[in-house]
Amino acid sequence: MSAGPSPLEQFAIKRLVDIHIGGLDVSITNSSVFMLLAIALITIFLTLGMRQQAMVPGRWQSMVELSYEFVAKMVRDNVGSEGMRYFPFVFTLFMFILFCNLLGMVPFSFTVTSHIIVTFAMAIVVFLGVTIIGFIRHGTHFLKLFVPDGVPIFLLPLLVVIELLSYLTRPISLSVRLFANMMAGHTMLKVFGGFVVALGILAGWAPLAFVVALTGLEIGIAILQAYVFAILSCIYLNDAINLHH
Amino acid sequence: MSEGEPPTRLNDLDARLRRLRERTPSEDEADVGPGLPSRSAAGFAFRVGVELLAALMVGGGIGWLLDRWFGTLPLFLLIFFFLGAGAGLLNVFRAAKEMNRND
Repeated sequence: MSAGPSPLEQFAIKRLVDIHIGGLDVSITNSSVFMLLAIALITIFLTLGMRQQAMVPGRWQSMVELSYEFVAKMVRDNVGSEGMRYFPFVFTLFMFILFCNLLGMVPFSFTVTSHIIVTFAMAIVVFLGVTIIGFIRHGTHFLKLFVPDGVPIFLLPLLVVIELLSYLTRPISLSVRLFANMMAGHTMLKVFGGFVVALGILAGWAPLAFVVALTGLEIGIAILQAYVFAILSCIYLNDAINLHH
Repeated sequence: MSEGEPPTRLNDLDARLRRLRERTPSEDEADVGPGLPSRSAAGFAFRVGVELLAALMVGGGIGWLLDRWFGTLPLFLLIFFFLGAGAGLLNVFRAAKEMNRND
């Protein structure tokens, strides 16, 4: 029916270099290329931006300092000064997601974060890391997180199970939120882009205007979702360190 | 240059910064409290949807796995589906409380 390419085609993983080691497929795909590109860009952005270390920062340097201050404040506000020990991790997470999301907004590029396995891998690292930190810091006291206070004893088993389930939900909701936002946004862009072509020069202007607006919105979402992922990691970290919801 | 140096000189930057810092309370003891960017209603609605869906997925998944171990197919799936729904509502409730605190 439809002659053009599917709007989901942009999410296809393509093998660029075939590498198989002992039955493991570790080929270099377009996904891994864009991850490496994001890391390279972050390194360039941060190191070259701080090259001069001027007391009065230039434009580039203030962007670097701004991102540092932003994440540092986020960690301090949400976890407290004790959480600053985990600042490097949160900063890495935030910058990686931010650059992957923004790279995806470049035409013809690939959006790494539109694949649930990527976002889930990051979410499960956060989840396991936070759980391990909680057990190391509080030992078995950490399990108190699952026991709400002021509950009649006969309701307690039920509520503990629900609390436990709610805790196990975290990696799923964390990863689904980022993945669904990116995937939905990019699919929508492609679909409306297709409308522009299909409706031609007569009526194609309306979807074109919509696509322009949507592109601005998507860039906002790209930044916002990186922020949401990082701040939720901070909140989970806060639960593990300070033991309260 | 009769009007002297412009007021934004580098030399007294330190002093001015110190003065500013004294005026604004230090951020170190900022109270611990999450500040989610749930300003937009659509963003919040999306969050609620994801929370519910994820909880149902986790609940159903655990129930199904237990059933597969014990061979009691619909039993645990049903129980954990509803427990998952409960957990999802709990998450939504907490998210709503967070949002209220931000306003």
